Amino acid sequence: MSDKDDTETPVITETTPILKDEIREPDKNSESVDQSAKPESESELVASTRRRPEIKPSSDLETSKVQETVSKDVTQTGWGYWGSWGKSLLSSASATVATVGQGISNVIEKAETSLGIPSPSEISSEVKFAAEETSTRENENSLVAGPFGVFSTISSAVQSTGKSVIAGGLDALEFIGKKTMDVIAEGDPGFKRTKGLMNRNSTLSQVLREAKEKEELWTSNEVTMETDKNTHYGLLFDEFQGLSHLEALEMLSQESEIKVKSVLNSLSGEELETLKLELEQLKEAFSLAEFCDEEEEERKGDEDFTKEITELFSQLRVSSKPEKLARARNTAYEWIKAKTLAERKEEEQLEGENAGKVSKSSVEDIHAFAIRSLAELTACSIELFHKTAALVLHGQKQDVTAIERSQTLSQVTVVLCKELSSLSKEFTTSLTTAGVKEKADALNPLITAVFLEASNSASYIQDAFQLLLPVLEISLIENRTESPTHELQVQKPLSEH
Amino acid sequence: MEAIWLYQFRLIVIGDSTVGKSCLIRRFTEGRFAQVSDPTVGVDFFSRLVEIEPGKRIKLQIWDTAGQERFRSITRAYYRNSVGGLLLFDITNRRSFQNVHEWLEETKVHVQPYQIVFVLVGHKCDLDTQRQVTRHEAEKLAAAYGMKYIETSARDAINVEKAFTDLTRDIYELVKRGEITIQEGWEGVKSGFVPNVVHSSEEVVKSERRCLC
Repeated sequence: MSDKDDTETPVITETTPILKDEIREPDKNSESVDQSAKPESESELVASTRRRPEIKPSSDLETSKVQETVSKDVTQTGWGYWGSWGKSLLSSASATVATVGQGISNVIEKAETSLGIPSPSEISSEVKFAAEETSTRENENSLVAGPFGVFSTISSAVQSTGKSVIAGGLDALEFIGKKTMDVIAEGDPGFKRTKGLMNRNSTLSQVLREAKEKEELWTSNEVTMETDKNTHYGLLFDEFQGLSHLEALEMLSQESEIKVKSVLNSLSGEELETLKLELEQLKEAFSLAEFCDEEEEERKGDEDFTKEITELFSQLRVSSKPEKLARARNTAYEWIKAKTLAERKEEEQLEGENAGKVSKSSVEDIHAFAIRSLAELTACSIELFHKTAALVLHGQKQDVTAIERSQTLSQVTVVLCKELSSLSKEFTTSLTTAGVKEKADALNPLITAVFLEASNSASYIQDAFQLLLPVLEISLIENRTESPTHELQVQKPLSEH
Repeated sequence: MEAIWLYQFRLIVIGDSTVGKSCLIRRFTEGRFAQVSDPTVGVDFFSRLVEIEPGKRIKLQIWDTAGQERFRSITRAYYRNSVGGLLLFDITNRRSFQNVHEWLEETKVHVQPYQIVFVLVGHKCDLDTQRQVTRHEAEKLAAAYGMKYIETSARDAINVEKAFTDLTRDIYELVKRGEITIQEGWEGVKSGFVPNVVHSSEEVVKSERRCLC
């Protein structure tokens, strides 16, 4: 994979200019780049882990300077590019959206400050930590920043255009998240083939694991209330076994990658070229081109997601079924529906004095449930990818090619991400409605948190999808070698019982 | 207070397919028994807190492995990062008992340089009338390998708690005595966070505040 290194470096360096700005979390990305040069930064890490926007370790600035010098040459082209992208994106985003509730106007004021909030900063601060470990192992640590490229783009775009993003609506953020990969690819043609943001397999679960551990530590130190704990995405994601499934998926992915490499090494000449060509086609399927830019047709009803995802899985011809995922998703929708109904009733009953109090607790409820649902759906999605990988590798032979499977999985990813974005939209709309009487600075962080966790969730799913590439590659190799000859038995059965 | 634990132990559950590994774990973690369940694909994950002494909790991360041969290359990879294991056979299935030896051999190869504390579990003990393995011979085999032996039933919830908590206690003792240590790069045992003393001091602060009011 060493050929990817140079092509990916720009991804990180392009985010560098943000370091000068007030938003904190993105700079962690870039710090990961110069980790090897600055390994003693652990202490400041602890401080920055706390979700306090006002704590801004000065060392961050220092680091950023170091960073700038490190990557000066690449940076120069980068920033201008992002700037213009931000603009064009926003205009299209606000054009497509106007559906958010009126209450959202409250949000506008505090949009910028509230963006520095919860877990993204926490998680991204972990990048550093993870990077440290990774960089000691290998020098390709530039890849670590992968998923967090999304954060920085969100932040930078949002910041440069500020209020209009939020005013423009909820779609803007998820739109940004979705578009990031494409944009990166467009900006750097060399990167196009490997559009996936995360190619360093060990990173994603490592980063998430560290994030979770920090959240645990934080919650125990702060002795926060139970409700508070319920809104920690990382903890919840782990509770739903998302981390374990991710780790398991990474193991399969790494194993497969090693096998693919050894097969490629063993071939030469024409044979090698043909295989390379086939693998190239497979990679194409993994470049997720299908995210629709324009607003999708209105939601077609509750059954649709379940139907769509079930159909896609039947096309995959693996025995795993997305039932758990569909159940989790439907529970979330039913909850929102019930909540909205209950709210309306309360509204009618109370009409006044106590209403403020009621909505206060319900806003927090909605927020907590939203974060929980996002964590659950993401964990279920990753579990499905993990199971799919296991079955592709060790399941019964099926009459479906690796390329077909890749295309289907690519669609699955798109469907999942769309679902996450529409679910987060439901939640934020519900938040906005329930929180009409809330002060903006109480409501904003909650709304922002839901957006960002939804965007993160989508990134995790996309990254997990990329982990499937080596799995499908080895499956392709096995299929083509197995049909004519049996010379390549990659998977030997173990001792017979 | 919730979810504050001293240690996290990773346990692995192995044994022939259809001996009831997933059912046993589900009974332990979810308190339910599923009459029908699909064969496990690769690995599955469960977790639960266990209180071994009043106020002393251990978080168990339980790795449920597929018994099917075709997934063996996947499940093998998980031995290394486990501190404890439940090795199951079905008391109504002689073959699954005979394979215990092979399971142990296999783990021995793949767990290096670490060690797994195993307990031998004779499962489905509610089906005593169909028993093909006597308690005596199972105990003998277990003793030969330095394991404890326990008979369980997920359906009737017999000894399920005991199987897991006894194993947890044994591991805890080894950790306490320093025979098992937390190691960098090994996931078998991880330290949790000890409930810190802030509780009491916070209460002090609170009461002080109240006085000021």
